Amino acid sequence: MPPAPDWVARRLAVADVRCWDRAELDLPAGLVLIVGPNGAGKTSLVEALVLGCVGVSPRTAREAEIVRRGAEALHVTLDLDGPPGAHRREIGFAPGRGRRLRLDGDPVRTLASWRARAVLVFLPDELRAVKGPPAARRRALDRVLEAAAPGFAEDLSGYQHALAQRNALLRRVRAGLASEASLPAWEAPMAELGARVARARREGVAALAGPFASWLADLGGGRGGALRLETSPQGLPEIAGDALEEALAEMLAERRPREIQAAQTLSGPHRDDLWIGAGDADLRREGSQGEQRTAALALLLAARDHLRARAARPILLLDDVLSELDPVRRRLLLEAVRDGGQTLVTSADPGAADALAAPPDAVVRVEDGRLHA
Amino acid sequence: MLTPSIERLVSELARLPGIGPRSAQRLAFHMMKAPPERARGLAEAMIDMTERLRPCSVCFSFAEAELCPICADPRRDASLLCAVEEPSAILPIERTHEYRGRYHVLGGALSPIDGVDPEDLRIAELVARLDDDGVTELVIATNPTMSGEATALYLADLVRGRVRVTRLASGLPVGADLEHADELTLGRALLGRRDL
Repeated sequence: MPPAPDWVARRLAVADVRCWDRAELDLPAGLVLIVGPNGAGKTSLVEALVLGCVGVSPRTAREAEIVRRGAEALHVTLDLDGPPGAHRREIGFAPGRGRRLRLDGDPVRTLASWRARAVLVFLPDELRAVKGPPAARRRALDRVLEAAAPGFAEDLSGYQHALAQRNALLRRVRAGLASEASLPAWEAPMAELGARVARARREGVAALAGPFASWLADLGGGRGGALRLETSPQGLPEIAGDALEEALAEMLAERRPREIQAAQTLSGPHRDDLWIGAGDADLRREGSQGEQRTAALALLLAARDHLRARAARPILLLDDVLSELDPVRRRLLLEAVRDGGQTLVTSADPGAADALAAPPDAVVRVEDGRLHA
Repeated sequence: MLTPSIERLVSELARLPGIGPRSAQRLAFHMMKAPPERARGLAEAMIDMTERLRPCSVCFSFAEAELCPICADPRRDASLLCAVEEPSAILPIERTHEYRGRYHVLGGALSPIDGVDPEDLRIAELVARLDDDGVTELVIATNPTMSGEATALYLADLVRGRVRVTRLASGLPVGADLEHADELTLGRALLGRRDL
């Protein structure tokens, strides 16, 4: 099969998103630099682009706060090219009335059938993907796997649903409200779907590890970059892929008495973690702020390579990363993303791209809620 | 504005599934113009149905006598029993004309989150029927949802070894294009493939 076409945002139109009354932006493929003073609305443009792709904000789960103060509803229109072709995507949101989605003018009912996993986002708090709790690292990894493999998102949400049912039953058994006789009926789907999730994560981490190490070195983070899946339960990595389901089923059955006492499922893929390090150093805990930032960027670039090979090259959105990097790393990063894919970089520094060998494909200046191309 | 009696009818109609406030109003205005016998006929039909219906004492589907029409039919194969979540699942199966056995309505599916345990479903009654009716095959036709599958699994484990247990297959809609099948359905169809 020929490689899938890259995801490219061609045109973004926003209305009543945060500080933006209205804004329209034509975007080329390649490197786009968005510059402007702090608070000018650069991040809100990034947020709007993410909304136009996946329908949810990377900054908040409370959608009402994205709507411009005093406005009734927000609206984002995104012309997006990608593997399914060129489509016009629209999302509207009004507090209390919910979300309205359209694809090429036709209403779409469910987010799942509208969502395009076309973006990788780096917000300043993306550092959570390195130094945050295990759930944050798991989430970052799962987002990549969801975009890379059809079916992963369904497997994961199915596993989580079965887990929630089993946990509810464990609570009821401990409270004397139910018998444990129907526990196996929830353990079977947990083992089946959990094995698929564990296998996909294992393969995903193996595929990301090489690119991560080379990006970490390229970005000045040193040699020996490594990623490892820390599975739950711990012995899982030694078990062959096709024996995982049985192993998980046995573990669940074996731990029933203890887990009834605890009223929750104590181990399984919902407790996996990702070890991120350089050499022997565990960057999650021992890394400096700068090392962790470099690792997070290397992880993001590795994810981009992975998606390019497995699905389609995503749009990279780097919000306010340059200010934290020294001039050398800054140039390394900007040169690294100049590989033909679309990358949007925001910066408060008007001279952010001065050190580049060739100028960016577009520079957008943001000032006082206005755009200057 | 609407009079109190119209408003009452509209708000009652709007509680029906699939009927919003606008449709409710349209139906109410329609009844207004229709001859009075129509309204009386409709009201009587609704009352008649709700007063006559009761659960079948054997399968718990709806009946107007001790037994539902299917349980009362001696031509149905008593050795074949099909477990469904709700009575509404019986009609589509009947329309296939592929099934000549009897049914058993469980009254839902397992869901500990909602406090539904095996004891809340008519599972004990089902197990009792297996012996009483001389059942040889139990067809589990719960919905292909997580809850439906868990219920099927629980039932199958419970009666395994006593009767043959089968599950409805998941697969492709007849007459449809493979190209348009979703991955989940197609994946299930592959897993459930059979020899030709």
